[in-house]
Amino acid sequence: MTRTAATQLLELDNISLSFKGVKAITDISFRVAAGEICALIGPNGAGKSSLLNIISGVYQPQEGRIRFDNRERRRMRAHDVAVRGVARTFQNIALFKGMSVLDNVLTGRNLKRRSTWIEQALRLGRAAREDDSQREAAERVIAFLHLQPWRDALVGTLPYGLQKRVELARALAAEPRLLLLDEPMAGMNADEKQQMSRFIVDINRELGTTVLLIEHDIGVVMSISDHVVVLDYGRKIGDGSPEAVRQDPEVISAYLGTRH
Amino acid sequence: MGTLTDTLDTLPHRLHRQALEHGADVALRHKHLGIWQVRTWEQLADEVQNLAAALQARGFSVGATLTIISRPTPRAIVAALAAQWLGGAASLLDPLDAPAGQIDLLGELQPDFVLAQGHEELLRLGAAQVTPRVLIYLDKRGLSDSGPFDQASDYAALIDSEVFAETIPQAQAQQTAFVFYRRGQHTTEKQRISHAELLQHGQQLVQREGLGRQDEALAARGFASGGQARYLLAPWLIAGLRLNFPENLATRDRDRRELGPTLVAGTRETYERLHGHALERLPPPGDNARRLVDWALAARPGLLRRFVGHWLVRRPLRDVLGFSRTHAPLVVGDALRPETQAFFESLGIKVRRWGDSTEWEVPSISPASVTNGRDERHSQRIWKEATT
Repeated sequence: MTRTAATQLLELDNISLSFKGVKAITDISFRVAAGEICALIGPNGAGKSSLLNIISGVYQPQEGRIRFDNRERRRMRAHDVAVRGVARTFQNIALFKGMSVLDNVLTGRNLKRRSTWIEQALRLGRAAREDDSQREAAERVIAFLHLQPWRDALVGTLPYGLQKRVELARALAAEPRLLLLDEPMAGMNADEKQQMSRFIVDINRELGTTVLLIEHDIGVVMSISDHVVVLDYGRKIGDGSPEAVRQDPEVISAYLGTRH
Repeated sequence: MGTLTDTLDTLPHRLHRQALEHGADVALRHKHLGIWQVRTWEQLADEVQNLAAALQARGFSVGATLTIISRPTPRAIVAALAAQWLGGAASLLDPLDAPAGQIDLLGELQPDFVLAQGHEELLRLGAAQVTPRVLIYLDKRGLSDSGPFDQASDYAALIDSEVFAETIPQAQAQQTAFVFYRRGQHTTEKQRISHAELLQHGQQLVQREGLGRQDEALAARGFASGGQARYLLAPWLIAGLRLNFPENLATRDRDRRELGPTLVAGTRETYERLHGHALERLPPPGDNARRLVDWALAARPGLLRRFVGHWLVRRPLRDVLGFSRTHAPLVVGDALRPETQAFFESLGIKVRRWGDSTEWEVPSISPASVTNGRDERHSQRIWKEATT
C-alpha cells in the first residue's frame, strides 16, 4: 500500500498527555491510513496504552488534535468515539464473565440498536424486530472467529486465549471502521498467537477494517503490519514500514536495551 | 424439474425422483449461524443441476472426475451429485488428512476438475503443483491475495449463473460414482464404487434397519470414506430421509445431541470418542452417584433396576450423547472395541457393524489417467475386506 496516497482514517497531531505534571506522552504525531494494519510498539512504559486510551476517548490530551475520518475532535467521550466507528479490546480482558459468549458478543451490538431501553426491557415495537437481526449479526462474528463450539459457554469458564478471542468478537460486533487492539496476543502460546494473527489479518483483508494494535511480539508485528510506529519514553522514535523500522538505529537501540 | 424417468439405478436418478415426488420435503439441513438451514429435495436438485450445467460448460463430461477437498457440507454433496449427474465421478479427499500425504497424492493425481473448501486446500493444490482446468472454491476467505488461484471460481457465483442444464441425469448404473484413495508406505491405493454397488448396499441397509422418510441422519465426517457413501449417502437418496450437517467438526457432538438422529452411521472412532466423553462426565469412582450409575448400567438388570436405571441414568446419558431417538446405530468399517460395545449396550444401544466392503486396488498406470476415466481396466486388485 502506498501510504502517502492512501486516505488517512486517523490523524494525530502533536498529542501530549500528562498526569499531575508527569508527562506520559510528548508531542506525538502519526497517521493511520484507511485499510491498513498499524502496530504501535515500544518498551513498557513508552505510552502505548495511554495513546490508545486517548484515541478511544478514555483520556483527553492536554495538547494536540485528533482527526478521525476527516472530522476533528478535541474532547470527546468514549461513547461518542464508539458511535463514530472505533471499537477496542483491553490489555486485561474486560468481559462479562458470568455471561455466555453469545451474550457478550451481543453487547457489542448495543450501538447498532435503534430501540430504546424501555422498548428492549418490555420487548415492544422495534426491540422484538431487532432481536433477530442483532442475533444474526452476532452469529456472523462468532462464525468469523470460529467461536461456534463455545457459543453458549460462560466466558469465565473459557481458557485465556479463547477469552481474548471473545473480546475481539465483541469489538468486531460493533462493525468498527477502526479497531484498537491492546496486546491481543499477550499471554498466548505460539499456536494461539498464530491463530490470532490470522484472525487479525482476515478482519483487515476480508472486512476492510483498519487495525491499530499494540503488540510486544516483534515477530508477529513484522509479519502482519503494514505500518509500524515506535514509542519510547512517551515520544515517537520511529514511523514507517516494518522493514524501515527494523533497520532504524534508534529503534534498535531502544529495543535491544542499550539505552535502558 | 423435468420429467419422470423409469431408471432409478444411479444416485442422481434417485435425487431426481425424490425431487419430482417429494419436492417440498426437507432433504438436507445444515447448521449455519446457529440455526438449522433447510434445503428441500427440489431446491437440492435445482442446485445440483445448476452446478452440473456450470461444470458442463467448462468441459466436464462423462467419465471425468471431480476431486472434492472439503469437510462435510451440503455444497460438497451437491458438487458430488453434480459430477455424477453428468456421468462423472466424485473423488472425496478429507481436508483433515495430513497435509504432506495429501499434497503427495494431489501431485500424483494431477486432477483436472477440483472443488476446494478454501484457502488451506488451495495452498495444498499449489504445493502439489496442480493446475486444474477447472478450480472451484467454497469459501473465499483468505483468497484476496491468492495470486496463483486468480482463475478459481466462486461456487456461489457459479450456481447463480444461468446456463442450460441437462434435465435428465447422464449417469449409468455401472459407472463409478465415487473414488477414494489411501496412501500406503510405497503405493497409493484406490477404491472405486459404482452407482449399482452403492444402491445395492444402501437398499440392504434401508430394508434391514427399516429406514424411511421420518428418519434423520447426521453426516459428521461427510463422505470421505466408502462406508459413509454406502451407508449414509445411498440410504438418504433411497429412503428420502433427512441428512443433517453439523455447524463444523468441533460442534458435531453438540449438534448430534440437539438433533437426536435416528440413524447414526459412525466409525469406531466416533463411538470411542463419545464413550470417552461419557466417562469424563461420570462422577469419580467411589462416589455415591457413581455407584448409582454402575448399578444402573449393570448387565442383565432386573425389572426394578431396569426401570429406575432408565429414568435416572440411561435416558439422561443417551440424551447427552445424542442417541435419545436412535434406532439404527451403525458402525461402518472396523468393529468397536469390546468395552465400547459393552458401554453402548448397557445404555440399550446395540451398535451393529456394517463393514466397508472395500476393494482397494493399486493402479498399474499413473493415477492421473485413472481418475480421468480413460483407462480403468488395468488395475490390479490386491485385497478384499469381507462385508459383515
